[in-house]
Amino acid sequence: MNRIFAMARKEIYHILRDRRSLGVAILMPLAMVLVFGFAIDMELKHLPVAFLDQDHSPASRALIRNMTSSGFIVDAARLRTRAEIGAGFRSSRFRAAVVIPRHFARRLDEGQNSPVQILIDGADGTTAATVDNYLNTVLQQFNRELLNGGSSTALRASLIPVDPRLRIDFNPELESAYFVVPGLVAVILMMICALLTSIALAREKETGTLEQVLTTPVTPLQVIVGKLLPYVGLGAIDASLVLAVGRLVFGVPMHGSWWVLAAYSLVYIMIALSLGLLISALAGSQRNAMMIALVTTYLPSLILSGFIFELRGMPLPLRLVGEIIPATHYIRIVHGILLKGEFWFGRDLAVMLVLLLVFTGAATRRFRATLE
Amino acid sequence: MRALQTLVRKEFRQIFRDPGMLRIIFAVPLVQLLVFSYAANTDLHKVPISALDQDQSAASRRLVEAFFHCDVFVPGPTARDPRELQNLLSNESARVTLWIPKGFAEDLAGGQRPQVGITVDGQNSSVAGRASGYAQIIVARETQRMLRERGFGPASGSEGMAQVTGITRFFYNPQLESRFFMVPGILVLLITVISSLLTGMAVVREKEIGTLEQLLVSPLRPFELVAGKTIPFVVVAFFEFCFAGVVAVLWFHLPLEGSLPLLALSGMAYLLVTLGVGLLASTLSQTQQQAMLTVWFFLVFGILMSGFFYPIENMPQWAQWISAADPVRYIMNIVRGIFLKGAGFLDLWRDLAILTGMGLFVFGSAAQRFQKRLS
Amino acid sequence: MTHDEYAVYAEGLTRRFGEFTAVDEISLAVRPGEIFGFLGANGAGKTTAIRMFCGLLAPSEGEAWVGGLSVNQHGERIKRKIGYMSQRFSLYDDLRVHENLEFYGGIYGVDAGKIRERSHELVSRLDLSKMQERMTSSLPLGYKQRLALGCAVLHEPKIVFLDEPTGGVDPVARRQFWDLIYELADGGTTVFVTTHYMDEAEYCGRVSIMVRGKIEALDTPQKLKERTGSSSMQDVFLELVGS
Repeated sequence: MNRIFAMARKEIYHILRDRRSLGVAILMPLAMVLVFGFAIDMELKHLPVAFLDQDHSPASRALIRNMTSSGFIVDAARLRTRAEIGAGFRSSRFRAAVVIPRHFARRLDEGQNSPVQILIDGADGTTAATVDNYLNTVLQQFNRELLNGGSSTALRASLIPVDPRLRIDFNPELESAYFVVPGLVAVILMMICALLTSIALAREKETGTLEQVLTTPVTPLQVIVGKLLPYVGLGAIDASLVLAVGRLVFGVPMHGSWWVLAAYSLVYIMIALSLGLLISALAGSQRNAMMIALVTTYLPSLILSGFIFELRGMPLPLRLVGEIIPATHYIRIVHGILLKGEFWFGRDLAVMLVLLLVFTGAATRRFRATLE
Repeated sequence: MRALQTLVRKEFRQIFRDPGMLRIIFAVPLVQLLVFSYAANTDLHKVPISALDQDQSAASRRLVEAFFHCDVFVPGPTARDPRELQNLLSNESARVTLWIPKGFAEDLAGGQRPQVGITVDGQNSSVAGRASGYAQIIVARETQRMLRERGFGPASGSEGMAQVTGITRFFYNPQLESRFFMVPGILVLLITVISSLLTGMAVVREKEIGTLEQLLVSPLRPFELVAGKTIPFVVVAFFEFCFAGVVAVLWFHLPLEGSLPLLALSGMAYLLVTLGVGLLASTLSQTQQQAMLTVWFFLVFGILMSGFFYPIENMPQWAQWISAADPVRYIMNIVRGIFLKGAGFLDLWRDLAILTGMGLFVFGSAAQRFQKRLS
Repeated sequence: MTHDEYAVYAEGLTRRFGEFTAVDEISLAVRPGEIFGFLGANGAGKTTAIRMFCGLLAPSEGEAWVGGLSVNQHGERIKRKIGYMSQRFSLYDDLRVHENLEFYGGIYGVDAGKIRERSHELVSRLDLSKMQERMTSSLPLGYKQRLALGCAVLHEPKIVFLDEPTGGVDPVARRQFWDLIYELADGGTTVFVTTHYMDEAEYCGRVSIMVRGKIEALDTPQKLKERTGSSSMQDVFLELVGS
């Protein structure tokens, strides 16, 4: 026991004295939470749209005014020729262009349908469809105002014939922080406990100090446990910081129990640590350890866990991979505890435990092999 | 020049001797490209929606059916009462629920504006926002259509009803594949990581094993040392970009319509920045781990604020200032423009100019810091 | 002789790091072809002094000339004329023996033909012939040491600085190493060597002893022994440093 603490203490000194690494390890998650919470917003707003008014009538001007004051749209440019549209798209000055053709006003006066062209930069396929929707919605709004002088109440009302009662559960304000904080915790814990530990262990191997330590009465197990312990602490501190900021700054709720969260987090951390161990045993150098860790821990946790991209939209093989990485299940658990107050996650826990066994087993076997 | 050649030759020897490194250069980008490109689709896809139809009329059934005309929604389990409906949401069997109360068809026909309940699982705010938007549009459109067929409401082009109709056309990417937007960005990410992280660590590694001192004592001039350490990674990054780019074009059918010379030039300007960051980090770091974390810090925020994942327009003013100083944003713009929109010098010269300026500044400062005196 | 006729000439050379004075106004003069022993306890300032002579560190005060070139003004040019072997033997573990030699030759601007010639020569003189193709990481310490020396002198510098070149090596290997140093000096190369091993001090032409940044003694080993009434350099050292 004492020996383990001696190793742990040495490692803590290392960590504390390396101000830069410590600083990044603590500041980065904090900064990420703040950036995600304050700066990231997936809702479409401030869409830069250009207008080409070929009609120059009060009606066309009214349409433009109406559209630019809708709140979604930012008046990016007033164009004079069609050629400018392509140029604007290519340089990404604006995302859509509305072309109001000649005779726009006249057709309206004659009681006919008056078409306008909506040209959308389709490069960003995802938002292009949404942009289309939004612009059409705004047009509908304009239409409604055209009719406001109209007679029949039935007709007016029938523009939207039903009264949709929209409710958003578990996150009524659609705070992106609610969604982001659990994901961030998962990614950060993975980074600290897998990435940093794999590098720390690889470094001892590289500089030869591992050999040195092994000549003392310390057993390999004690070395490993002692070395990993401080990173558990660091990971716990980081996760707590992120959760605290989430709660205090963004009001992410905690409908469940902190103890339950801590228990599940412990399992997750142990998985991350065993991964770090495995990677350091496989990698020859710090640089390799880092690259391997990045690709096998950080990246999957970011991309395949459902944090940024929906698992449902991925092709089957990737979805399967997503289901066997620990981060996916941990994120579900954290979501459930924070936002819904649940506490039993049988299936997710089962998967995590299996992963823990597998990784620890592989890690111990590999590590023992490299020591001989 | 001979000294520089010697240094570069040694660096390449070291890179190729390291088995892990070779895997990193070939396997890692390939894996990242494939995984990212297939995973990174932000289309609203197959969202399960559960309906509680308490009206059971032709109209209500038709409304429910309307949700499945496009690919966005798929039918979730049906519910028999409101509580069951709520449960379906809680246990995530459904992402959206639709509740049509009794009397819907009657009220609709009578112009009474019946209530329709749409409840969305808000945990993933971006999905929730879009899903609720879509749901509302579908409800509005379908009910309007139903009324028009019955003879109520504005018919297109009749009854003296003047309407503005939007005719939409999509430029580039008519299939609206989200992949096309992502893949060029991934290519940028690949070279960013290689050129900044590996450069930074390579320099610090020499510091750590002591050979840096030996190099400093030699007649190697500062710029030769800097060039010698960075050129190999420029070559590797360039190679990777071409390699991944070819895969992207052939496998994902990524279009490549724009100016290749512009791409090369912009790539070089961008590499100046990333190499500079790597170098800078190495001058500030004592250990490889420090170098890695320092570069990583810049990388993460550079990527976050670049518009790759999240739109810049939506960010608050202070974040937009940061984004304006983010080189990743400009190269992303350029790369996307060239691949997807057939852009050329006339369109993107501004971005290129800014990027070049940044490159010279960052690399220049880093190289200066990298004096030939031990720190 | 004037300062530019000496191999190494220092006058009031000083280096401070903040409040701490590592090298405190040292002055010395090393003749061409001499084997000069630069002794001192750990932390006495030897490495800092050598760094200044090699153009790696700028003096805070004072001046030194190496090969007639001023350390303050021509630091870069000095590098071309000297060879340096660092304490850590600074070799690339993932390069083969002959590749390390080629590398250092290349950075010193020696042309390919000459590199081949000199490598050949050095490999046989340094008894590395059987090891040429081996990875440097697999070499025993004694051989690494010789390789490091080879890399330091491949470009035939007139002045060579060796910082603790025999650290951690067995006595037989040390003896052999000093034979090599003698060979170098016989060829006219000035050897400026620091060492911990007092017996090696006996091999030097003259010796200086640094204590806390200052040079407390500078003379031939013989005269130093006479002065302090000691029978070995070890005792001389203890006498001067012990105080």
